[in-house]
Parts: sequence; structure tokens; C-alpha cells
Amino acid sequence: MTKQTIFTLNGKTVTAHGDETIWQVAKREGVDIPHLCYLDKPGYRSDGNCRACVVDIEGERSLAASCIRKPTEGMVVKSTSERAVKSQKMVFEMLAADMPAREEGPDDKSAFWAWAETFAITGSDRLPSKFDGAATEMHENDISNPAIAVNLDACISCGLCVRACREVQVNDVIGMGMRGSHSVPVFDIHDPMGHSTCVTCGECVQACPTGALYEKSLMDDAGKVRIVQDFDKSVKSVCPFCGVGCQTTVNVKDNKIVQVDGRDGPSNENRLCVKGRFGFDYAQSPERLTKPLIRRDDAPKAGDIDMRFMKVSDIFREATWEEAMARAASGLTAIRDAKGKGKGSNAIAGFGSAKGSNEEAYLFQKFIRQGIGTNNVDHCTRLCHASSVAALLEGMGSGAVSAPFMDAMKADCVIVIGARPTTNHPVAATYFKQAVKKKGMKLIIMDPRGQDMMRYAEHSLKFKPGTDVALLNAMLHTIIAEELYDEQYIQANASGFDALKQKSKRLCAGKNGGYLRHRQ
Amino acid sequence: MNEMPRIGKGRKVGLPKGRQLDDASLDEVRVALAGASLARDRLIENLHLIQDMFGCIEARHIRALGEEMRLSQAEVYEVASFYDHFDVVREGDAKPAPLTIRVCDSVSCMMNGANDIIADLEESANPDLIRILRAPCMGRCATAPAARIGDREVDDASCDKLLEMADTGAFDVLVPDYVNLNAYREAGGYKLLARVRGGDVTPDDLMQMLSDAGLRGLGGAGFPAGKKWGFVRSYPGPRLMTINGDEGEPGTFKDRHYLERDPHRMFEGAIIAAHAVEATRIYLYMRDEYPAVLAILRAEIEALELAELIEPGFIELRRGAGAYICGEESAMIESIEGKRGLPRHRPPYIAQVGLFGRPTLNHNVETLWWIRDIVEKGPKWFADQGKPGHPGARSWSVSGRVKNPGVKLAPAGITVRELIEEYSGGMLDGHTFKAYLPGGASGGILPASMDDVALDFGDSLFKHGAFVGSHAVVIFSDHDNIKDVAINLIDFFAHESCGQCTPCRGGTEKLAKLLRVDGKLDEGAIRDLEQVMRDASICGLGQAAPNPVNHLLTHFREDL
Repeated sequence: MTKQTIFTLNGKTVTAHGDETIWQVAKREGVDIPHLCYLDKPGYRSDGNCRACVVDIEGERSLAASCIRKPTEGMVVKSTSERAVKSQKMVFEMLAADMPAREEGPDDKSAFWAWAETFAITGSDRLPSKFDGAATEMHENDISNPAIAVNLDACISCGLCVRACREVQVNDVIGMGMRGSHSVPVFDIHDPMGHSTCVTCGECVQACPTGALYEKSLMDDAGKVRIVQDFDKSVKSVCPFCGVGCQTTVNVKDNKIVQVDGRDGPSNENRLCVKGRFGFDYAQSPERLTKPLIRRDDAPKAGDIDMRFMKVSDIFREATWEEAMARAASGLTAIRDAKGKGKGSNAIAGFGSAKGSNEEAYLFQKFIRQGIGTNNVDHCTRLCHASSVAALLEGMGSGAVSAPFMDAMKADCVIVIGARPTTNHPVAATYFKQAVKKKGMKLIIMDPRGQDMMRYAEHSLKFKPGTDVALLNAMLHTIIAEELYDEQYIQANASGFDALKQKSKRLCAGKNGGYLRHRQ
Repeated sequence: MNEMPRIGKGRKVGLPKGRQLDDASLDEVRVALAGASLARDRLIENLHLIQDMFGCIEARHIRALGEEMRLSQAEVYEVASFYDHFDVVREGDAKPAPLTIRVCDSVSCMMNGANDIIADLEESANPDLIRILRAPCMGRCATAPAARIGDREVDDASCDKLLEMADTGAFDVLVPDYVNLNAYREAGGYKLLARVRGGDVTPDDLMQMLSDAGLRGLGGAGFPAGKKWGFVRSYPGPRLMTINGDEGEPGTFKDRHYLERDPHRMFEGAIIAAHAVEATRIYLYMRDEYPAVLAILRAEIEALELAELIEPGFIELRRGAGAYICGEESAMIESIEGKRGLPRHRPPYIAQVGLFGRPTLNHNVETLWWIRDIVEKGPKWFADQGKPGHPGARSWSVSGRVKNPGVKLAPAGITVRELIEEYSGGMLDGHTFKAYLPGGASGGILPASMDDVALDFGDSLFKHGAFVGSHAVVIFSDHDNIKDVAINLIDFFAHESCGQCTPCRGGTEKLAKLLRVDGKLDEGAIRDLEQVMRDASICGLGQAAPNPVNHLLTHFREDL
């Protein structure tokens, strides 16, 4: 049973479960405590630095940050005492004094201004700004990144972007540079964002409570002020790119996608990569096919035609769906129903696309089998996955992966071979890197080419291209020869182990040693 | 080489994003590190090696050091840019001049003309050869104005003296005469350690004696030393110990005083304390402003290892890098771990979760310095040196407008009047006592009318919104304007705030500006800032930073 801690919050007896903080209990109890540097989202550690969430704890000299403080039995906490509210309000006034006016800043609808409004704070006419008399370089407006504008005059140094970059996505590009009132988030060595090692995953944009880091797609051309003020609709969707399956919220204005945010799906927990977050412009590309086209009668088909320098309208004409469907259906049925060599159902084959969903793939094969009457149907995954499915079926008894990639967080050791997750499946890679950083997981990478995840690896092996099978066999040999396996597990779960044992004798490591290059 | 990759269509095809690693820089970094450990917690040590060899830390070297230590550029840069003693030079920036003169502009030195020296130096020194920097307290307040040229610490500095030293090459470290290991042992040193290790004196005996003596943490917090050992011992091992030698509180110089004379008294106390709490290792964090002390400690730790009094590596010396906040114990621990010196939230306290997450005993230099005497001469000997109700002797760092400033060994609970008259030769001729700092920059400013307050930890000062802290007493006279003093102190805090929490980061900077306003001060705004800093800052720096401003508005209205 989880630990229960009974304490008093604003005069009411409440219970904290397990490791809940005062802020989390307050939220459950419907008590709103302001917060800026704390993001109530999976993966974000509370840091307690902005002090917007300070509460009064009886018997303590100073106020405590409710986002990081855990209650103890019998503690008496007040979030609305005069003293607590005074400090909360002063925090907002101090931060607002250092910021451009709400409507002149990058995001007038930011979490910061929403909270400031509850204290009726719109700025400060009595507190000087940190920019008064400071060198101009403190007002950084950096639009070097193609998708993200950086306006550090709106930055409150809360470090959420640092946590986003270093602890959630584990890209390690953002740091908090300098000290005191000069503290400022930096990319690499205080480089312009677009020149840095930033991979533009946009996690920092999603985390930033002020809009100091903000999507250019919502801003004016100078990247200084938000101009898209609201959305016509927000659509729950799934990222159309790789197979990780990140869930998204797609925001639409004037029937155009203007922003994509990560949603808390089981495989991404709000995270996205550059493709999912910023790669949405293709939907509005003028080159995109939006209406059915039918080949013009005066443009006969040729197998070797090169269309690169032709206008589409020279070959095709626009048509209605009805006409296009009728034309396609009549062509297919004509072939299906014709008799003779090279005619009939078997003259047609269907090849499904990986861009379709499982349901669409099912419907497609049904259409080919039932509608056309042939079993000539296949899917493009045959090219890449068929071999692994066969091997998995034979070896593991199931043609699917045995663990989701998020289980890296539960693993002691992970070996990556034949994959470059930071480029191909960036969101999945975040979990591998996180497992190393947070849980001390041992990561081993085998890749003929260097890859950025090697920095987190306990061992990185750059083997000679083409020797991966020899390498794995050599490992198998050593595992068996040195009896590094779990005998009980083998007896309970494996079949054919003796045969493997016999075979492994021929897979000698020494033979491979000559052409394996070991690094570190 | 080192050219920034271009973006857009100009981006170089085939290269990874961002600054590229170049082989020459990597080789240079390897030469500088000379086989030093690449463990994460050694980052600051390794940055020192680069700064020492190249006179600055270039971006290309940060890139290369990151490669060596398997850290990202941001992880290296954010640490390098936090500390004053690292000069990060980005592509296109000018490198600092080969020689640096730092002039102390903290309060005692300011009173003695530091600003004039800085102005003169800026006018006379060749900027291509010499860089002039303002620097916070150097712990030489009794011989103010203080300065440092290269690694040479300079007392009673003047522009001419410093420039002459620059001309004659007198800028290497100058180590004073001190009691080395042999001399210390000949005079009976380390016999107590042998008795403790032999079981003749048990940890329980020691804790009892420290409690009876009334020994308290002399870094500023005043926590009873014996009790602290008990707390640390109550958490399961392995445990660690740290020694806080980051004596940065303006006006304080007692730790330097003792370490430049008799360092082994501290070492013996430290090894005994480590034995008592079964600490597996001692990390000694020494501020980089004390090059002579660092040289002494380096030599004497080696001597202790050679004499087999400690295992090699049992005491690890860590160099600060110019950050007052690292005197705060949890910030110091972060710094030892190779990070930015940001104080941690409490709870948990470091006795439970400290260095590398382990239960940690942390002591100030002077606290340890007294252990041998207390055990050998008896707790009563120590306790009896205090005033009634204030057990123990204290080392007062006295500076300012007195005839004989310096470290004064005097009773706990003494008054400032007694310190001036009986220990410091009275006020300077022509000066009338006007005000004093009872505890460095953070302990507040009290008027001469409060010259009868018993100076000690606890209530006697607390009720006046002041504290004794590290026992740094700075004396002001009718020649001093207290508003100038308060501005000097708040400037110091603004410079030294770590920047982590809003009240301190914004509050110090804004108070400094509000105090400089021409005409009438906005006391409402100042009082509001004071309250949020005191109530809502994470650590003692922000909570105490408004003390001098509070006292200025309360006691020195004629100076506004």
C-alpha cells in the first residue's frame, strides 16, 4: 500500500499518497497554486526555482515551493495566507518588470500571462527592468532556427527548456549559462539556435511558460509577436511519419495546419521530434494532389516517359471523384472480366502501402481478394520486415517485437545494433538516453558508423561493415563457452539449446578478432 | 577550422550539426589534461587545467573537452560560464591579456580606496598586456586595499606597486612560512589522531567533548558540531566528508589566517572527524582566491600521504573557481560534483543526502582547527573563553576604521565596543565610530548606538535583524556613508547570486538599481522586494541579502 500522509491545506484535512508533493495534492483538491517552472506533465522534474508556488508552512521561517516540497504528517500548509500570496504576487511583478508588455511579447496567451492576470499584474511601474542599462546582447532575438524563434527578453530563467532538452528529450543542447540576473538559457556554447547542435524537436517550445521559445508558424515575420491568436479547431491525431506512433494535437486556423503539439500517448508521453512537430507544411504544399486527375486522351501512356519537366496539366485533367472512380473501376473490371492469356483476375496484383493503417491494409487485401478475385496481394513491409518476422517466429515463437522500446526504462542493459534511433525514431531514442541518464542503464552500441547515442554508451563498437553476423556469432560462442547464460531460464523456456551449443563450437571469436575494431 | 557551420542552403553537406571537433584542439586539451581523470565530477578541475595552460577557455577547447569527458558542449559551457575565474572566449572574441590584476572592491577595500586604484590602473596599464578586473573579497581586509596580480596576493595595494610588480615579473604564487608536517609532529601533532584511531578516544567521547566545549559551526551557521556528527552517523554509510574552505563572506579572513600558519591543526581535526563518522573520503573545497593556501594544502596532503598518515587519495583537494555562493554547503557540494554552484532545496539535508547522494559531514576550516585543542586541553578550557552564557572562543576578522585590524581571538558574546577598544587598538585617529557589520556582508549593518549587543549566534542579534555569521566585523566611522556601504553590499550579492530563484536573482539586481535612484527612494518597492527575498528565496544568500538595505532604511536615514 502506498504511504498516506495526512496534513492540513488551507484549513482542510487532506491526504497525500506516496510521494505526492503539496502542489499535486492541492491540484487534486481543486486548489490552484500558481506555477511557472513546474510543468505538470510526464517526465518533468519539479525544480522549485521560480517561487511562484510558495506556500506558508506552520513553524517554518521561510516559505516553501509547493511543487517540490513533500508534506509530512500533521503539517499545516497555507497557500492563500497573506504572506504566501504576497510573495507569489511579487514573483510575478518582478518577472513582468523584466518582460516586454504582454501584447508586444512573443506569446500574449502564455502560461505566464494567464497566471499574472489572476494577480492583476500587467507589468511593473515601480521595479526597474534587468535590461535597464544592460548591454544590448541581453535582448536576444534569435531567429536562426527555421522553425523556432528565441526571444530572451521574455525569458524568466526557469530552466524548463533545459529540463526539456536535457532530461526529457536528452539532446543536451540547452544549458543555463552565466550567473545571477545574467542567467540565460544557451544553445551549445551560447550559439545561435540554428547554428547549434539543436535537432529542433521543439520540446523546449512546448515546455516554455512565456513564449521565449516559440513556433514561428504562429508569429509575425520578425519572429517577435504571436499573430495567430486562436485556432478554429484542434484535431487529435497520430504522427504520420515513422512507426513510433506519437500522438499529436493538430491545430488548424483558416483550414490550415498552424501548429502541432505532442499529446500524452503511450509511446511518446507528449514528446515529438522535428518531423512530427514541424514537418506539417507538406499538407499545404501546392504540389500536393488534392483533386482526382484523369489522363488526357491526347497524352497517351508510355513506359519510359520522363515527367520531370512537364506540367501536370499537359498530361492530366481534373475530374470529379465519381468520374475518376468509374474510370478506374471500369479499367480494372475490364481486365478482370476479360478472357485469355494475360487477362482475368490473375492479371491484377495489389501492393499495399505502409502509409496506410492496419485497417486500411485489411480493407485493401479484402478488395483485391474479393473484389478482384485474386490472391495476388502483398504489402511493402515484405521488403523490410518479412525476414525479421520469419526469424522472430522461428526463434521467439512470435513474429512481433517482444518488448516496447519504453521498456528500456526498466532494463539493466540494452544493446543497439543495426539501428540509429536518434535519426530514424528520435522519440524512441529519448527513452534509451533517458534510461542511461536517469536509471543508469548500461547501453552498448554496435554500429560500423559513429552515431550520436554513442556518447551515452558504456561500450561502443564500430565493427567492420558486413561482419555483424560474425560478431553476433562470436558473442554467442563466448556466452555458451563461458557459460554466461541462465541455465534455469534455458531449461524452462528454450528448445534446441543443445543443437545451438554444438553449432556454437564452430563460431570462434578468435577468427573475428582480427577485423573488429574496438573503441573504448 | 572552427568555422561555424552555415545554415539553410549554405550548410555544409556531410557534416553533423553545430561546432565541429578539430584534431588540433583535441590534442591541445589532452596535453592540458595530462592524463587527469575524466570523471564527471572533475569538470571544474579540468577546466582549470585548460584555463591555466591557455589563459582562457576557447570554444574549440570546450568542444574538445566535452568530447574527452563525454559531455555535451552545453554541459561544459554552463559550468564554465558560472564561475568568475574561467574566461570563456568564443570564436571572434578577443582573448584576455596575458596578465590579470584583480582589485578587491568589497567593502573594506572600497573604504581604503580600491576604486581609485582601479581607475588609476585602467588609465596607466597597457591593456594589451594587463587586464584589470574588479573582484569580490579576497580575504585580506586587514591589509586593505587588497589585490592579486597573476597568482600573487598583494596587501596594501596601490597602482604604482602593482605596475612595478608587473614589470618585475613578481606575479607567481608567494607561499608564507608555516608549520609543515614535520614541525607539527615534532610539537606533538597527530598524537591525538593515533589515540582516536587506537580506540583510546571514541567517537562518542569526541562528540561529548565537542558538545561540552560548545563548539559550533564557524562557517556562519553555528550548528553545534557534536550534534552534527550524531546526525551524520545516524544515516547508513558509506558516508563522505567535505571541508568548506570557500571563505567568501566579505570581511572574513580567519580561515586563510589559520591555514597560512598551521594547516595541520585543521587536517588533524578533519581526519579525526572523518574517523568519527566513518567517512570514506574527505573532499577539501578551497576557494581559488587563495593561491598560497592552495599551494600549502597541495604540499601538505602529499606529505600526509608520504608519511602514511592517510591513504593516497583519502583527502581530495578541490579548487573553487570564483563563486561566493559555493560557500553555501549544498552549492559547494554541487560544485564538487562538477556542476554550477546552485544551492539545493532542503529537506533533505546533506547529513542525509549530500555529496554524490551520500550522507555527508561538512565542516568549516576553523571548526576543525579547534578539535585538537578541545580534546587535549579539555572542553572546559574552550568553553570558559567565552562570555557568560556564550561558551567558547571565536576568531573575529576585524577590519575597517580601527588602528589594528586583523584576526582577534576573543570571547563569544563580546561586544563591538570591546572588540574595538580592547582588541583592535581603538578607532583610527580622526574617526568616530558610526556603524558596524557584525557578520560580513549578510549579517546586516548596526549603528554605533547598538555597541552593547552580545555578538554571538542566536537571539541577541537576531532580534535586531542581524547575525554574526562568520564573525567578520567591519567598522565604519563618520567618514563613511552607509548608503554607499549598502550599495556596495547589495552589488556584491547581485554579482554573486547564483540566479536560480526569482526573488534573489531579480531582487538583488533590482535593489541595487532602486538604491541608485536620484532623489527619494521608493521605500514601498524596496520593502516589498525585501519581503519576497527573505520569505521566498531558496537559500541564505537571497534571504539575507536585503539585511543591509533594511538597516539602512531603519537606522541610517540621515544617509539616504
